[in-house]
Amino acid sequence: MDKSKLDHLLLEAHARDDHDALIRYYTLAADEREAARDTDAACFYLTHAFVFALESGAPEADTLNARLAAHGRAHRLDFSD
Amino acid sequence: MNKHSPLSSVLAEVNIANGLPNEHYVDPAIFAEERKSVLYANWSGVGFGKDVPEEGDAKPVDFLGMPLLIVRDRDGEIGVFQNTCRHRGMILVDTPRKIGGAIRCPYHSWCYSLKGELRATPHVGGPGHNTHEDVDRSDLGLVRVRSYVWRDVIFVNVDGNAPAFEDAHAALLERWKEFDQPVHHGGETSSFKLEVKTNWKLAVENYCESYHLPWVHPGLNSYSRLEDHYNIEARGHYSGQGTLVYRQLTDQDGATFEDFPGLSDKWDEGAEYIALYPNVLLGVQRDHAFAIVLEPVDQENTVEHIELYYAKSIEDTPQHDGLRASNAQLWKTVFEEDVFVVEGMQKGRHGVLFDGGRFSPAMDGPTHNFHHWVATQIENGRAD
Ligand code: FES
Ligand SMILES: [Fe+2]
Repeated sequence: MDKSKLDHLLLEAHARDDHDALIRYYTLAADEREAARDTDAACFYLTHAFVFALESGAPEADTLNARLAAHGRAHRLDFSD
Repeated sequence: MNKHSPLSSVLAEVNIANGLPNEHYVDPAIFAEERKSVLYANWSGVGFGKDVPEEGDAKPVDFLGMPLLIVRDRDGEIGVFQNTCRHRGMILVDTPRKIGGAIRCPYHSWCYSLKGELRATPHVGGPGHNTHEDVDRSDLGLVRVRSYVWRDVIFVNVDGNAPAFEDAHAALLERWKEFDQPVHHGGETSSFKLEVKTNWKLAVENYCESYHLPWVHPGLNSYSRLEDHYNIEARGHYSGQGTLVYRQLTDQDGATFEDFPGLSDKWDEGAEYIALYPNVLLGVQRDHAFAIVLEPVDQENTVEHIELYYAKSIEDTPQHDGLRASNAQLWKTVFEEDVFVVEGMQKGRHGVLFDGGRFSPAMDGPTHNFHHWVATQIENGRAD
């Protein structure tokens, strides 16, 4: 997906406060930057995807946190409870 | 040093004592003093468990200007936190809502678990860096306010220095141990609030005496005569009144609410109404109970939050919906009949020549007991 399309979808998701969409599109943005080996930008987007997943209790929080931790960008959290 | 009148005449015995001076009802400086020495230093009611019925429910409350957050966590436990982010002090939750996973601060998105642990600090080490060696998550959880839930009332001790709730209120827990069993809120009609132009203490004082019943509640008194009431006074803890002639409400088919199980026969026609200091008013009867939290807004304004509870849930006893509504109406009438009195006493305290008044040694023991307690808290605060 091109960058401006994704930016637009993200803004719309923010406007709707749609957490599922925020998680999905920030993860997409992170995947795209990660593929381009732009770790800082990837982790920026991963952080946002993670925060919205954490807030809404979405299962993705665990893997998003793991990805950040693998980059040394977050403490690994326990999601067992 | 002390610019206020000494309270020795309040601390005298009931037959010669005066009530608290006017300034304890009309002076914002004394109200601020009470906030610290009376309401934050003891176990005060701030809400009800029924307001956060499900896991993840969060309800902000303003307790004398202090923002609190009541949360029911994933274990079903109720916790109370200061509703202030540990980062830059933003209010975390400003309207009641369900927290799906974590409490996210709306400012920079630091996230806290329902037990208050700081779980995420996005970009704290720069963009995409969510840790910083100098920011220790384990030190930065939400500030937990000491809390205790009893009879569905959520009590807090803000300054953290009161004895444990079970110790502070051991005498009442013992007195009412037969009622130490689940209570079920009666639903929407069983919840009402009254905004009253009075100092919160006058609502306590009026609640714990029966002297006014024949004058203010003539209807109530037709089946509950003055001599069928007794005073309840535990110096330093609580006071109120009891009745020996409690009658159950019946509907047109003669049906009554179900009793709380296992009560002794003392409660067949007995009922007690007690002010648990500082600001919670409780009533127990064989077949229903109520709890009132007085929210002191300022020295001249109080909100009375009134909730009725039953032995059985509304889901289990739909046949009693009508009876519950009539019962709520009955109590509402009684509490509304008291409004002109507590507002009138507040107005009366602007009479600058009033000396705090005198007590009926026979009838006003419970009221004086409360004044004695408040005066003691204030003097303790002044001695610190
Ligand atoms: S004030 Fe809460 S995250 Fe900054
Ligand atoms: Fe009354």
